[in-house]
Amino acid sequence: MKHISSIAGGVALGSAGVVMMSILSGCEAPQEQQQNRFLVIEQQTNGKYIVVEEMPTEGASRAIIREKDENGNTTERFMNEAEMKALAEQEYQKVQDGTSETIQDGGGSAGMGLAGTILAVAAGSLLGNMIGNALMNNKNFSKNSASSNKSAYSRSAASRTSKSSTRKSFFGSSSRTSSSRSYGS
Amino acid sequence: MVRLQKVNPLDDKILDELGFTWHTDSDGTKYVSDELVKISPDEAEAFYTATNEIYDMYVEAAEYVIENNLFFDLGIPFNLVESIKKSWENDVHWHIYGRFDLAGGIDGKAIRLIEFNADTPTSLFETALLQWALLKHNDMDEQSQFNNVYKAITNNFKRLITLFDDTDIFDDRYDGWKILFSSISGNDEEEATTKLLQQIATDAGFNTSFEYLENTHFDENGIYDADENPYEYWFKLYPWEDIAHNEPELATTLNNIMQNQKAIILNPAYTLLFQSKGMLKILSDLFPDSPYLLKTSFEPLEGIKQVEKAVFGREGANTKIINADGSVTEQTDGPYENYKKVYQEYVDFPKDKNGSKYQAGVFFAYEACGMSFRKGSEIMDNMSKFVGHMIV
Repeated sequence: MKHISSIAGGVALGSAGVVMMSILSGCEAPQEQQQNRFLVIEQQTNGKYIVVEEMPTEGASRAIIREKDENGNTTERFMNEAEMKALAEQEYQKVQDGTSETIQDGGGSAGMGLAGTILAVAAGSLLGNMIGNALMNNKNFSKNSASSNKSAYSRSAASRTSKSSTRKSFFGSSSRTSSSRSYGS
Repeated sequence: MVRLQKVNPLDDKILDELGFTWHTDSDGTKYVSDELVKISPDEAEAFYTATNEIYDMYVEAAEYVIENNLFFDLGIPFNLVESIKKSWENDVHWHIYGRFDLAGGIDGKAIRLIEFNADTPTSLFETALLQWALLKHNDMDEQSQFNNVYKAITNNFKRLITLFDDTDIFDDRYDGWKILFSSISGNDEEEATTKLLQQIATDAGFNTSFEYLENTHFDENGIYDADENPYEYWFKLYPWEDIAHNEPELATTLNNIMQNQKAIILNPAYTLLFQSKGMLKILSDLFPDSPYLLKTSFEPLEGIKQVEKAVFGREGANTKIINADGSVTEQTDGPYENYKKVYQEYVDFPKDKNGSKYQAGVFFAYEACGMSFRKGSEIMDNMSKFVGHMIV
C-alpha cells in the first residue's frame, strides 16, 4: 500500500485524537480549564525524548508517549495529569539537588529523559506558575525547555479591538434552518 | 456482492461526547452503520489513483471553462464570475478539501465519477474520526483503513502559507495571520464540521476563531467577527451559489475584498466551478477516453439509461432516473428545480445481499487522503447511511 496512509494510535488526529482517545477509553470528558497542554512526546533513536506536538487543551494536561519496543515497533501509551505531575515532581527534586539534566548546559539539545522533558515543557501548568517561572529564570533550563520542544505551539489569540463601524452583516433572514444532514453539500 | 464486517457500534452517549450529535435520522434509524465495507489494498490504491487523476482533469477543465468563458453553460451566477477568475489566478486561494462521490471500485466494478463536492463537503467528521473510532472501539487494527484525512487537511492548511514548498517551513513563514470559521447557527452537523476544520487549522499552527455566519461582519476592507476583529482568512461552510442568490450584496463585497487583497475566502470561489455538475459534461467532452468518466450532456442522451440532475442540486434532490425508452423509474423533488439540468449515463452501484447500494466518498486535500461509503437506494439522499471501511 504505497500511497495509503492510516491513523496510528490516534496521534495523526492531533488534538481531536486525544479527546477521542480519552472518551473511547472511558476517561472523564475534559473539564473546562485554561492553559493546560496536550503533549505528544516521542522517543528518539538515542533513547531520549522530545516533544513533537503541543496543543492547548481545555481539559486536564495529558500526553501520548510514543516509544520503540525491543522489536523496533512503535508503541503508544497515554499518560494522565497525575502521572505527568509525579514525574515532574521527581525531576524537580533533582533540580533542587542540582542533578537534573534540565539545568545542565546543553542538556536538552539531543533530547532528555522522559521526566526531564515533561518538566521542561510543562513545569508551570503541572507544578504551578511560581515554580515554572523560577525554573525559566535559569538560563540552562530555559534553553533546554526550548530545544526539547519541536512542536508548533499555537500563538496567542488575536488581540481585541473595539472600534465601532458601519460594517454589515448578512444571512439574517435567509438562513437555512434545516436540522437534517447535508451529505450532498 | 459488497463484503461487510459486522462491528459493535459506538453508543449514542459516546457519540454525543465526541460532538457527533447527528447520529439518529429523523425516522429514528441510526445514521452510522454497524458494518464496515471490506476493501482490498489494491482497491484502496485504485481509489487513490483515480481520485488524483480526476482532480487533475477538473483543473484542466476549469482552465478550459475560464479561457472559453463557459460560466453561463455551467449555471454559474453572473455575480461570482469575477471572484472565480480572481481566485483562479493566484495560488494563495488554496483549495482546502473536497469529496468525490464515486460508483464502483469494489466488487470488481470500475470506478466512475458521480460528482465532486468541492465547495462545502460534509461527512468529514464521520470519515476522519468516527470510522477510525469504530476500529479502535472494536480492538481492530486501526492501521487497516485508508484514512489520512486529518493529517492531510492539516498539511493543506499549512500550504495556505507555504504553497508548493515543503510544509515544514510553515513555522518560518507564518506571521500570525488568522482564520475565521463560520457556519449557519442551528445546524449541528454543519457547525461540528466547521469546528473540526477550525481544530485542524489550529493544530496546523494558525490562530483561529469561530463566528456564526449571521454575526460575521463585512466591509470593503475585510471580514470581522462580532467583536470587530479582522481576519486574513475566512472559511465558510456555506455554498457560494447560495451567497450569489440569497446575499447578492455580499457577493459584490466579497469580490471587492478579494480585489483589494484584504482577505482570502475558503474554499475558494473557483470551487463553485468544480461543484457545478455542468463540469461533468465538460469533462466528458475533454476526456472522452477516461475510464473514470460517464458520458454526460446538457441534452437528454439518446437511447441509454441516464440520470437527470440539477447543476447545483444537493442531497440527491431534484434527481430523475430515466430509462433508455424515456420512462422515469425514480425521481425526487427538491428546491433545485430552477437550476439547469445535466444528463449523466446511468451506472449501477455495488450492492449487498439486501440490495442496498454503496457509493464511495473519497476526500481530497492536495491528494486523495481517505474514504468512506454511503449506503442507500437508487438515489443517495439525506436518509442514506454512513458506512466506514477496513482494508483486509
